[in-house]
Amino acid sequence: MTAFLQIQAIKKQWAHTVTVGPITLDIARGEILALLGPSGSGKTTMLRLLAGFETADSGRILVANDDVTTLPPARRRFGMVFQHYALFPHLDVGENVGFGLRGRGKGDEGRVQQKISEALALVDLAGYERRTVHELSGGQQQRVALARALAPEPRVLLLDEPLSNLDPSLRERTRRELRQVIKRVGITTVFVTHEQEEAFDLGDRIAVINAGRLEQTGAPEELYEKPANLFVATFVGRASVFRGAAARALCGSSGAQDAVVVVRPERLRFAPTGLPGIVRERRYIGAAAFFTVESETAGVDRFEVLAEPAAARVGERVHVQATRAISL
Amino acid sequence: MRRMRGSELAAAGLVLLLAWLVVYPILIVALDAADTTALRAFFTRPGEWAALWASLWISLASVVLAGAIGIPLAFLFEWFDFPGRKTLGALVALPVVLPPLVGVIAFLFLYGESGFIARALQATLGLEQAPWRLQGASAILLVHAYSMYVYFYLFTRAGLARLDVSMLEAAQALGADRRGTFWRVIVPLLRPALVGAAMLTFMTALGSFSAPYIFGGGFRVMTTQIVATKLNGDLPLAMVETVALAVVAVVGLLLLRRTEGEDILVALGKGIAPRPRPIRRRGVRLLATAAGWGLAVVLLLPHLTLLLVSLVPYGAWTTEILPPVLNFQNYGRLFSEAERLRPMINSLWMAAASTAVAVAVALLGGWLVVRRRVALRRAIEALLALPWALPGTVFAIALAITFSVTAPLQLRFVLVGTAVILPLAYLVRALPLTGRGILASYRQLDPSLEEAAASLGAGRWRTLARVTIPQLRPGLAAGASLAFVAGLGDMVASIVLYTYETRPVSIEILSSLRLSETGVAAAFGVVLMLVSALVLGIGARR
Repeated sequence: MTAFLQIQAIKKQWAHTVTVGPITLDIARGEILALLGPSGSGKTTMLRLLAGFETADSGRILVANDDVTTLPPARRRFGMVFQHYALFPHLDVGENVGFGLRGRGKGDEGRVQQKISEALALVDLAGYERRTVHELSGGQQQRVALARALAPEPRVLLLDEPLSNLDPSLRERTRRELRQVIKRVGITTVFVTHEQEEAFDLGDRIAVINAGRLEQTGAPEELYEKPANLFVATFVGRASVFRGAAARALCGSSGAQDAVVVVRPERLRFAPTGLPGIVRERRYIGAAAFFTVESETAGVDRFEVLAEPAAARVGERVHVQATRAISL
Repeated sequence: MRRMRGSELAAAGLVLLLAWLVVYPILIVALDAADTTALRAFFTRPGEWAALWASLWISLASVVLAGAIGIPLAFLFEWFDFPGRKTLGALVALPVVLPPLVGVIAFLFLYGESGFIARALQATLGLEQAPWRLQGASAILLVHAYSMYVYFYLFTRAGLARLDVSMLEAAQALGADRRGTFWRVIVPLLRPALVGAAMLTFMTALGSFSAPYIFGGGFRVMTTQIVATKLNGDLPLAMVETVALAVVAVVGLLLLRRTEGEDILVALGKGIAPRPRPIRRRGVRLLATAAGWGLAVVLLLPHLTLLLVSLVPYGAWTTEILPPVLNFQNYGRLFSEAERLRPMINSLWMAAASTAVAVAVALLGGWLVVRRRVALRRAIEALLALPWALPGTVFAIALAITFSVTAPLQLRFVLVGTAVILPLAYLVRALPLTGRGILASYRQLDPSLEEAAASLGAGRWRTLARVTIPQLRPGLAAGASLAFVAGLGDMVASIVLYTYETRPVSIEILSSLRLSETGVAAAFGVVLMLVSALVLGIGARR
């Protein structure tokens, strides 16, 4: 992998207690990287450091071996889509998209108009130039924001929670369309999200950030199947944690005294032997059901099993085995 | 269905009442002004055109000056952080608590030819005469700039506070530098606020009476010209002048409105205003702090001067730079002499009564316009706003003429000379203030709150008292406090309509000045200032 965008030991300290970084990350040309983390983890700060709205205390940011660490946002040539889009309400759609194409010494109005049409066509809004921003739906506004960011042909595209402002029903479709546009343009992209599903669906690779630190970087499958630590295991996808006696009961008697295993709900099943417990709750989701099992064994309190809807009843005493556990 | 008809009837009644109060007097003046001799006199006398022209250019110059002071101040206080920023930011709005006449006499005591500054210069330089005379257009503009920059300051700060920081970041990410961001994003987004401030300043300056009355000397603007003509007994000419001033006001407003455009500040997302940036460089920081405190002193000087002069007993201060004796004698006279106490009580009750009625009318109007959506809602809104579009002198003359004859069939009664006419005049001026505040709040009020109260068994009055009014409180309190303060300090309408029995404080201040009782005049001014500050403070509380 040849790194196009390099983040080298970037660090930013807020107050005395809150520190983001040092974070080091390489992003390949044309790759879509998701910064995934809970709120307050520092993922948005990371994005703003990339955009240049915040200045790093130490570390470097390079684009194609060009050091942009101290460059102001206006000269970085990074396109950004804001969480609430930040479309200029005093300009119409075409003027919004053309904003980055105009300004000092960028003349040739015919060329500008052509680029505006191209950018709008790219996001499937051809002919929307003279609409006002207020007439557009949320999804259309999002696409205008994308067209505006892409029109000046930036080197890197940054997206801040790109889908959080949309109706859940719209998100899945928009996500696909967004990925198609980005892949068609071939632009290197970094986006921030707190939703695992969004990161999986949109990102080629995911960087999990927690408390200002980079926990793990990898493809979705890698994070899901081989989490580097407990945080990644429980934050990316559902999982229950078993320690000591409970872990041994679940996976057979092998395993160390202080073993910690993490198991996804779909990798647990009811069996004649295993970890004993009582079913306390059953949540039916159609094809299957989540069973909440309460255990008296030391090392786990309550955990979830995903199984056939008829696999157990509330109040029933059961035994649970793991078909696949992640040892940490 | 019957209920709907009830509110339509109420709306019709309200429209008739407002039309009688707000439109009818103006119509009568306009009709009476169609008098050929008066018209000929108006068009041939050069003094008339000069006064009209003076009104216009003074108003426009006031807008430019007020903007030049208020806009940079707003940016300074909203965007930069330096020691004392919060305190100073509040102090900068202080000229608001000075009713126009009080501000004018404070300027007189401070910068006038026998004011503190002139005396000090005279003494230090050993001059025979005062170094200047505070008179004419420049004196008027000085007072206007001092009292009206606050509109630009407050409007611009409010506009900046509503600015979404991501707009500025978006511009930067798209390659705009600071200058580009300022001209291509910030200024267009602030335009509605700036135009609003310009309209308010223009209207206030055009209707300004106290400053030209005290400082004008031979320099006449239309407001003082009208009153002078009326005092000379030339009523027909006064009416023509009134109509001319009204026309200038309306044309000016229409022209300004055209530049406003629609209110585009309705942000798409939730905007977070940019946080004030600390000034890091020590030199600049010191400079900003020093400039800020220096400014605060300049702004506070009129208030302090007023306070000082109010403590000087009658005849105790002649040629000294600073007064030799200070005591509370003037205040003692204010509150012990029945003839001095009366104007105070008059002003208080007349302002309170007009405010109470204006609030009631605005509440009814708001309910009919927003909740009932009556057919006449546009008429109600227009009538409530109309008095704002015309200078106070216009309404004073119109009311004086309309209500000085008995013609019950024409709905005209003799009210001039009674205790009713001044509160009525204040009421007309108060309507736009309470109307604007209450209607805006009513629009933001979620109707389901009132429905929830009703479903919980609250009747109409209980809902009004326990849910609607508490929810409308910010707009209601702001409008009511402005209306009360305007009535309390009014001079424009009072000077045309007062009688000895009903004279308000402003008239008493004028006669004290005429008798050279500057201490008493200042004491009245201080009391007005304190009451105004108190009421505005309560009104602005969230």
